Amino acid sequence: MSTPTGTRTGTAIRLPPRAGVVMALAAFLGLVAFFWPFVVAPGTFGANYAPPLIFGALLVLVLCVVLSEIAEGGIDSKALAMLGVLSAVNAALRPLGAGTAGIETVFFVLVLAGRVYGPGFGFVLGCTSLFASALITGGVGPWMPYQMFGCAFVGMLAGFLPRASGRREVLMLAGYGSLSGFLFGFLLNLSFWPFSLDPNSSIAYLPGLPFTEQWHRYVAFDLATSLGWDTGRAITNFVCVLLAGPAVLTTFRRAARKARFRAPARFAARRD
Amino acid sequence: MSAVARTTVAAAPPATVPGAGGRRLPRTLHPVAWWVWALALATAVSRTANPLLLFLVLAVLGYVVTARRTEAPWARGFKYYLYLALTVVAIRVVFRAVFATGITPHDHFLFSLPHLPTPDWYAGIRIGGPVSLEALLSSATDGLRLACMMCCIGAANTLANPKRALRVLPGALYELGVAVTVAISVAPQLVQSVQRVARAKRLRAARAHGTKALRGIVVPVLEDALERSLRLAAAMDSRGYGRAGTATRRSRRVTGALMLLGMCGLCAGAYGLLDATAPAFLGLPAMSAGAALCVAGLRLGGRRVTRTRYRPDPWSLPEWAVAGSGVLSAVLLFANLGYDPAQLNPSFYPLTWPGLPLVPTAAILLAGTAGSVAPPPTPAPAPAFARRATTP
Repeated sequence: MSTPTGTRTGTAIRLPPRAGVVMALAAFLGLVAFFWPFVVAPGTFGANYAPPLIFGALLVLVLCVVLSEIAEGGIDSKALAMLGVLSAVNAALRPLGAGTAGIETVFFVLVLAGRVYGPGFGFVLGCTSLFASALITGGVGPWMPYQMFGCAFVGMLAGFLPRASGRREVLMLAGYGSLSGFLFGFLLNLSFWPFSLDPNSSIAYLPGLPFTEQWHRYVAFDLATSLGWDTGRAITNFVCVLLAGPAVLTTFRRAARKARFRAPARFAARRD
Repeated sequence: MSAVARTTVAAAPPATVPGAGGRRLPRTLHPVAWWVWALALATAVSRTANPLLLFLVLAVLGYVVTARRTEAPWARGFKYYLYLALTVVAIRVVFRAVFATGITPHDHFLFSLPHLPTPDWYAGIRIGGPVSLEALLSSATDGLRLACMMCCIGAANTLANPKRALRVLPGALYELGVAVTVAISVAPQLVQSVQRVARAKRLRAARAHGTKALRGIVVPVLEDALERSLRLAAAMDSRGYGRAGTATRRSRRVTGALMLLGMCGLCAGAYGLLDATAPAFLGLPAMSAGAALCVAGLRLGGRRVTRTRYRPDPWSLPEWAVAGSGVLSAVLLFANLGYDPAQLNPSFYPLTWPGLPLVPTAAILLAGTAGSVAPPPTPAPAPAFARRATTP
C-alpha cells in the first residue's frame, strides 16, 4: 500500500538543520567545481591540469564534511545496513550497463531509494554506491569525486520530489530519472573537458574566452562525444523506472515499514 | 592453467607456501605506500612530454603491476586502463584533426579534410581543413602524457588492497566506511542470490518473458537483499554498533562550528576565484583557510566514535622504500639538475627525434625498483573470501 504518508514515515536518515545548511553550501561549491570553465576569472590558474585537480580535492573535502554532518545526527544500524546492501546492488548493477550503448543502471535504484528513504539516505547512497563500485572494479581516481557528487545530488533531489501516488508518482520518477541521467552526463563531460582535448583544437577549452564562445565550444564537444550516450542513458532510465518502478517501490516501502527507522538513542552521563 | 595453480596454492596451508621472492615472507604492502608511489609517478609524468620517457614509464608500470599484483578482482583492471589510455590518445588525435585550427607555413602538410561551414552565430568552431604532421604529433604526445597519468592511477588501483585502504578513512566518516565495507562483502552474495532465484524459477517451470520475467528476478533478489540487511543490522546491534565515543556536548558544538566556518571559507574562496575584482585574500587563501578548518572539524568529529583496529598494517622498510622511490623520481624530474629541461619537452619546430636524457631516465627506472623492493603479495585470497562470504 503506498499511502501518501508512506513517503514520510520511510525517512531512514534524518537531516539535522546544520546538515541542511552545510548541504546548501556544498551545492554552491559543487556548481563552481563543475562550471568553473565558464565563470572563473581569467588568469586565476596557470595550467589546464591544475583546476580539475584542485576542485576534485575540494569536492572530496566537501563530501567528507557533508557526510560527517549527516552522520552526526546518528545513523540507525538498520539504515546503515540497508545502505550497504543497496550500494552492493548498485555496484553489481553498474558493470552490467557500462560500455553498452550508454545504458546506465545505477540511477534506477538510486532514484527509487532516494524517493522512499528520503533525501539524506539518497545523498549517502549516491556516495557509497559509486565508492563501493570503484573499489570493487578498481576505478578509483580523480574522476570519482565528481561522479560521487553528481550521484549524491541525484539521490538527494529524488527525496525532495513532491508528493504523488500511483501512476503519477511512477511517471514523475521516470521523468526525473531520465532528466537526471541526461544532466549527469552533461556535467561529468564538463568536468574533464578542460584537459581532455588538445588546446589547439577548435572545441577545446581556451582560458579567457567570453562566455558565449566558450559555451559554443563546450556544446560542440558534448555533441561530438557523448550526447548519444546521454540520450541512451536517459531512455533506459525512463523505461526501467516505468517497468520495474512500481514493484520496486512496493518492496522498498515494505522494507521501510519492517525496519521502523529511528535515530539511535544516545546515553549521556549528565546534562550540564 | 591459472585456475589450477590457484586451487593448489589455496589447498596448501599458508605457512608452507614458499614466497615468490625467495627468503622474504609474502605480505600485502600498506595500500597508502602504493598510492603515494603511483601519485608521485603521475606527478613526475606531468612534467614531461618526451615520448621516449613516457613509454619508459609505461614499461615500468607494466613491470611493477605484473610483479606485485594479486588475484583479487580489483587487480585485474590494469588492461582496461591500457585500453582507456589508447582511447584517450585516439580521441585527442582525431579531435585535433577534425576540429582543426589551420596550419602555419612552417608545418609539414599531411592531408586535408573537407571543410564544413558553421553558421555565423556559431563562430569560432572550425570543422575540417588541412592537417599537419606537427599538430598530430603534438596532440599524440600530449595525449600520451595524460594516458600515462591515468595508467599510474590504474596501477595504484591494481596494487593497493581497497579493503585495507578503507581503514585510512577518518573517524568522522566511520559510518560511510562501514556501509562501503558491507557493500563490498555483500556484492558476491548478490550473484548467488540471483542464481538461486533463477534456479527456483526454472524448477517451477515459470514461462514468463519480457518485463514479467525481469520483475520475477528483480523483486525476489531485492527482497532477499533487504531481508539480509535487517539481519545484518541486528547482528551489528548485538556487537556494539553505535557505541558512543569520547565526544562531549561541547566538542560536538565546536565540531559543528568548525565545519560551518570551514564551508563558509571554502565558499568565499570559490567566490574569490570567480570574481576578478574581489580582493586577493578571498581567492586561494580563503579557500585554504576554509579547508584547514574543515579538516580540523573532521578530526574533532572523529571523536564521535571509538574504533579498534584488527591486525593493523605495518609501515616498515618496504613501505618507506616504495613510497620513497616514487617521491624521489618526482623530485628528480622537478629539480632540473644535471640535464637540459628542454629535453623533457622536445620542440616540434624543427621536428627532431627526441633524446633520452640520463637523469630523468634513471629517475623513472628508480621508481621501477618498487617492483622488487615490495614484498611479494600473499597468495590465496580466494578461500578466505569464500569462507567469509558464506558466514551469515
